[in-house]
Amino acid sequence: MALPQLSRSLTGLLVGTSSIIQQRTFGVSPVAAAIQKMTRVRVVDNSSLGNTPYHRAPRVIHVYTKNGVGKVGDRVLLAIKGQKKKALIVGHKMPGERMSPRFDSNNVVLIEENGNPTGTRIKVPIPTHLRKLEGDFSKVLAIASSFV
Amino acid sequence: MLKSCVLSGCKKLGSLVLRRSVLPEQAGVFRSVCSIPRGASHGPCSLRRLAPSSAACQQRPHVFTACHLETRCYSEVNRENSHSEKDTGVSSEESHERDGDGAFQPFSPGPVDAFTIDVLVSLLRQENAVDMCVIKVPDQIKYTEYFIVASGISPRHLRAMALYAIKVYKFLKKDGDRNVKIEGKHSEDWMCIDFGNIVVHLMLPEIRDVYELEKLWTLRNYDEQLRNIPPDKLPEDFIYDVDITK
Repeated sequence: MALPQLSRSLTGLLVGTSSIIQQRTFGVSPVAAAIQKMTRVRVVDNSSLGNTPYHRAPRVIHVYTKNGVGKVGDRVLLAIKGQKKKALIVGHKMPGERMSPRFDSNNVVLIEENGNPTGTRIKVPIPTHLRKLEGDFSKVLAIASSFV
Repeated sequence: MLKSCVLSGCKKLGSLVLRRSVLPEQAGVFRSVCSIPRGASHGPCSLRRLAPSSAACQQRPHVFTACHLETRCYSEVNRENSHSEKDTGVSSEESHERDGDGAFQPFSPGPVDAFTIDVLVSLLRQENAVDMCVIKVPDQIKYTEYFIVASGISPRHLRAMALYAIKVYKFLKKDGDRNVKIEGKHSEDWMCIDFGNIVVHLMLPEIRDVYELEKLWTLRNYDEQLRNIPPDKLPEDFIYDVDITK
C-alpha cells in the first residue's frame, strides 16, 4: 500500500490531492512490471504478521517464476518484520488482460510452506480468474469474503 | 454399556454447531445420525437416531475396548438455514435420514451416470467422513454451487477420502469434463478438491476450528472473524492512479 514516502504522478502531470503531495519534487514512472524483487506489497489477510505495524513495509525478495515478474497467482517470498515468508499475489496495479480486474495496490496473501493461508479471512476482493490458473488456490478462495 | 458410554462421553463438537446459528431467523435444526457398525464378536448392530432440536452431539470415532471391539461412529450434520432477507439467501441441503439396520442405502437407486452432489455426499458418508457440512452457495457468489466441508480422523483418512472421491469422479466423468486434482496433497491437515460446481474441503478438526469455513460461507458478511478485522484506513497521501490506458 502507499507509504508516506510514496507518491504517484505521471511524468509532467501533478495529480492534485492533498498538499503533502504537491510538495514532492520527484515523479514516479507508471507501473512497468507487475511485482518483482524489492516491490513493497500490501498484505490483505487478517494474519498478525501482516497487520502488526513495522517501520519497514513488507518487500518482495524473490519471485518464484521463470522470469522474475510476478502476476496474479504467483508465489513470492516476502521479507516481513525481519523474517522471510511465502506469499501469493492476488492483485497488482499493472493492467493485465482485458476484462480482468486491476487493483489500486499490490495485494498479497501470506501462505505457509504447505499452501495453507496464514490468516483466516480476507476482506479485500479476490479475482475469480484465480480458479482457472494452474496452482492451489482453493484454500485462498475459501477464506475470501468477496470476489471480483 | 459400551454404547451408552460412547454416547454420553462424546465431545461437545455440537457446541461449535450451536455457536454457528447466529441469525435469529434461522430455523437451525440439527440432526445427527450415529450408527455403530457390526462388531466382530458382538451381536447385531443397533442404530441410534438422535434428533435433538437444539443440541447435536457429535462423536469422535476412536473407541477401542478391552475386548478389541472396534467401533467406528460417524455423524453428519446438515444444517438447514431458512432464507433471510438480510442474508443473500443461503440455504443448505435437506439432510437425508437413514433408517434400517445400518446397511448403506443409496439415495438415488439405480445406475449413476453423472457425478452429482448426491454421489459425492454418499461416498463421503461411506468413507466415514466426520461432521460433513454441505452448503448451497447462492448464485450471487459466482464461485461454485455447493461447498462441502468434512473432517477426518487422521491425515491418512483425509487422503483416502480425497483419492476415493477423485477415483469415482474419473470413473463417472464424461469426455468434456476437465480433470480434477487434489490441492494440498502435501499438507497433512487440509486438502481440497474443486469439481467445478462443487468444492470439497477435507480438514482435521483442529484446523477446521481455526478457519471456520462454514461460518464464513453461511454468514458471508456477517461472519464474526470478518467483523473483527479493523477497518483499513488509507494513508493521507495515497492517491489513485490516473487512468492508465494500455
